[in-house]
Amino acid sequence: MTWYVVRRLAISFLVLLGISAVVFFLLHLVSDNPGRVVLGQRASPEAVTDFNREHGFDRPVVMQYVSYLGQLVQGDLGRSYKLNENVGALLRQNAGRSAMLSLAGLILSLLIAVPLGILQAVRRNSLIDRGATAASYVLYATPSFLLGLILIAVFSQSLPFFPAEASQSRSPWVVLTDPGAMALPVITLAVTSVAVFSQYQRSSALDQLGQDYIRVARAKGLPERLVLTRHLLRNACLPLITLVGTLIPTLLAGNLIVESLFNYPGLGLLFLNSLQREDYPVLLAYTLIGGVLTVAGNFVADIAVAAADRRIELEK
Amino acid sequence: MFDKPDERHLGFVSQYRRVAKEMESGTVRTSDGFENAREPADGGRVLTIRDLSVEIRRGDRVVHPVSGVNLALDRGQTLGIVGETGSGKSMTGLAIMGMLPAGGRVTGGSIDFRGTELAGLPAARYRAIRGNDIAMVFQDSMTALNPTRRIGEQVAEPVRLHHRASKRAARTRAAELLALVGIPRPAERMDDYPHQLSGGMRQRVMIAMALVCEPQVVIADEPTTALDVSIQAEILDLLDELRSRLGMSMILVTHDMGVIARHADQVAVMYAGRVAETGPTPALFGHTRHRYTHALLASIPSLTHDRREKLFSIPGAPPDLAVPHAGCPFAPRCAAATDLCREGRPTLSEEEGGHTHACWHPVSGPTVRAHQTPATAPPPTASPVLLPERQTTPRLRVVDLRREYPVGGRGLLGGRRTVKAVSGVSFEVAAGETFGLVGESGCGKSSLGRMLVALDRPTSGEVIFDGAPVTRMSSRELGPRRAQMQMMFQDSNASLDPRMRIGAILREPMAIQGIGRRAERTARARELLRDVGLPLSVLERYPHELSGGQRQRVGLARALALDPKVLVADEPVSALDVSIRSQVLNLMQRVQRERELSSVVISHDLAVVRYLADRVGVMYLGKLVETGTTEEVYGATAHPYTAGLLAAVPEADPGAPLPRAGTRVRGELPSPIDPPSGCRFRTRCALATEVCAAAEPALTTVAGTHQVACHHPLRSGAGQPVELTAR
Repeated sequence: MTWYVVRRLAISFLVLLGISAVVFFLLHLVSDNPGRVVLGQRASPEAVTDFNREHGFDRPVVMQYVSYLGQLVQGDLGRSYKLNENVGALLRQNAGRSAMLSLAGLILSLLIAVPLGILQAVRRNSLIDRGATAASYVLYATPSFLLGLILIAVFSQSLPFFPAEASQSRSPWVVLTDPGAMALPVITLAVTSVAVFSQYQRSSALDQLGQDYIRVARAKGLPERLVLTRHLLRNACLPLITLVGTLIPTLLAGNLIVESLFNYPGLGLLFLNSLQREDYPVLLAYTLIGGVLTVAGNFVADIAVAAADRRIELEK
Repeated sequence: MFDKPDERHLGFVSQYRRVAKEMESGTVRTSDGFENAREPADGGRVLTIRDLSVEIRRGDRVVHPVSGVNLALDRGQTLGIVGETGSGKSMTGLAIMGMLPAGGRVTGGSIDFRGTELAGLPAARYRAIRGNDIAMVFQDSMTALNPTRRIGEQVAEPVRLHHRASKRAARTRAAELLALVGIPRPAERMDDYPHQLSGGMRQRVMIAMALVCEPQVVIADEPTTALDVSIQAEILDLLDELRSRLGMSMILVTHDMGVIARHADQVAVMYAGRVAETGPTPALFGHTRHRYTHALLASIPSLTHDRREKLFSIPGAPPDLAVPHAGCPFAPRCAAATDLCREGRPTLSEEEGGHTHACWHPVSGPTVRAHQTPATAPPPTASPVLLPERQTTPRLRVVDLRREYPVGGRGLLGGRRTVKAVSGVSFEVAAGETFGLVGESGCGKSSLGRMLVALDRPTSGEVIFDGAPVTRMSSRELGPRRAQMQMMFQDSNASLDPRMRIGAILREPMAIQGIGRRAERTARARELLRDVGLPLSVLERYPHELSGGQRQRVGLARALALDPKVLVADEPVSALDVSIRSQVLNLMQRVQRERELSSVVISHDLAVVRYLADRVGVMYLGKLVETGTTEEVYGATAHPYTAGLLAAVPEADPGAPLPRAGTRVRGELPSPIDPPSGCRFRTRCALATEVCAAAEPALTTVAGTHQVACHHPLRSGAGQPVELTAR
């Protein structure tokens, strides 16, 4: 197990190195003149050249990449061109809020999807099952910005239950401190995942319901509720654990849309604004973080499944 | 393997039962803990089923798996329900448990359990009985135990539920039950997960789980079908012993007449959802009345069947239970059927000592086992297949074949650990000869079979086909050769492409080898279908539209499409019902003789190999331990393992002598990753001595072509039997 973790960590490191190189060179292709971006269109060519020399942007790309890696090792993600702030600090300010929003959406969707999927499997082909399946397909096909807009139109404009804008507080705990203001963003995030998760959970629960150990549990005289919670639940959730792990970065990308729609100051909104401002150090850092999350998500999912299912032996 | 449960356990069991159940019902128990009060009026009758009918509704389709079934179970008795797939035997068991599948319900009749009517019992009251008073043991499959819960928890669960026992008391109780069913070191195994146990051990856990509340009735549904013969015998003996010790009654549901003959007191033979014949086991087997039972018994290849005679086979297939039918359901397949049978449903006959049947034209007199070799007659010495003088070079020669599969992880010194599936096997198959490979699961017989037809490459050793070393050929050289070596698979459902019509399946091998044009291929496909006894209409159908027996015939036809010289059949009939099995076996035997095929038949079923093969090789843990002609191996068994396997096969004859004690193979198959030193069988052998651990026995000749690899063979060099005593 320990060896497995060490080996996976080493491989993850290499993967991230690769990601950083690809992204760095791609961004360099897009913008090879940071001085112009930073100083603006009106700055004199001399000032731009001076700026680039001063910050080392006139060196060969490979050299720039090496010194960027050197900074990374020291935990320095660079400096934002436009906000004149340390990128690391910027990310730190926003990461907590984004994570809380994602997490709240994820938890809400799992709380709905897991029981719903099992219910659908148990009442297979019933009206509930067919209805939920149909709804899932519709919701899954709906882009989250459209869904968000509909939710705003209904629950904020027509029926003034919730504000249309998310809380602007800088605290990451707004989901808890100001649930009203966070309701629509969280629901928008959750609804799309519920559609995927519940269908996933349904098919996995159906597989498990056909297994003999379920019959054995019933033959013991267990009431159906205990058959489901004690015997079905854990086995039926195993595939979902893997899925959720790999979806963690996707949730982050989903924030891009939801955060901008509800004007929620998180990583996604920061990324969008930086994109418009051509603030490349921020974009680079954001993409790297995305890579880290993807790799970490897969890693954590593998470990979690192995912990939940003792049949899986992690390869040494 | 099974340690006798010591009295301490039983003492606790009884005590526990008394306390727990007295609190529930307030009945009075005697000091030994077994209840005397509330004795049912009709003697020791525990369960009475009258006129039970079940239907299953799936959309518009209504199936009647059980129609008008009458059964009775007495205290301490075993009632065997025997029948083929779809006979309604399992559905009857599930109806008693109140666990019919979705869409199923009891439509008529009654299930009386000690005065309580179970049919229509409210769900909550049913649950209190289920697992507590009536428990069920299912067929072992990898999924019969919850894979993510520890076995101790799973065994303790019913006690927690029904007796409201504390966690600790339930755990203690579970440990006792695990000891009772013969799990070594139960306290340690409690925390194991199911995948850490072998198939036999998992089945013991299943039994412990069923018995933990001391039910009065245990329904065992094919409890040993997935297990090897040696393990099967142990599990059935365990069930018998526990039944008598705990004073339970048992319903044993199985397709295996042999299991029934040896383990049931009463037998009910079911066909098409009805009881065809029922009675005490000796009467039913000794004076078989119903034509179906009679035909069924005749179509089972046994270890005493005269191999020169064709197996009896029942034509056709069981009826579709969604279509209402008049008359006797067996009439369309019965040789003695008359118009009376086709029009009127036979009623249950008068009792003769509890023996009744539903047949218009019953067989009379004691059952004559026509195919049996008389005990006095000398065993046939000549091979049943008359070979047109043996060729000097064998068609297929296997030389010191080995196959090792790497497994995850490395050994202590960095060497890759390997599963030794096949470890140095040599044999020859002459033209027109059938070689039988027999052994339990995990002995390497299927790995060997795949290498014979070059589906897998050996680690070392050679397969020589007509003088050419197949194992050293490149894939390009192998291509055209493959036509000569074909394989017939066990699972015809998985080995036929579900999206191809049968015609296309039969034409494909010819197309790949570039033989003939399309029209010629189709003509050949028709010919093949005729050969295997299928109607031409099958050409246009898909595999799922055929029955299991028909699919297996298609599998054989496909293997024969290229007119191969060698046919390897891996468990060709294991997935088939008895009546269909004999059809396929007869067909295979006919094809072998007509085409002068050299075939290798691989099976765990000793009777099947005996019926088809001229010569036999017995495999154990990757090695050939005994080989010779079928008569030599079966009639003058020399290896203790072969003897043990033969002793474990239940004969469909309750009068058959029980095997001598000590001949059975006990315990578990050792790991093929680290096989035992010396003789690989020594860990399970009653005759093992120090020399067995020190030196590996080589195959040495006993007599003629009969060879055995054993330090203490049961036959001396002159072929004389050696008295079997533990040394």
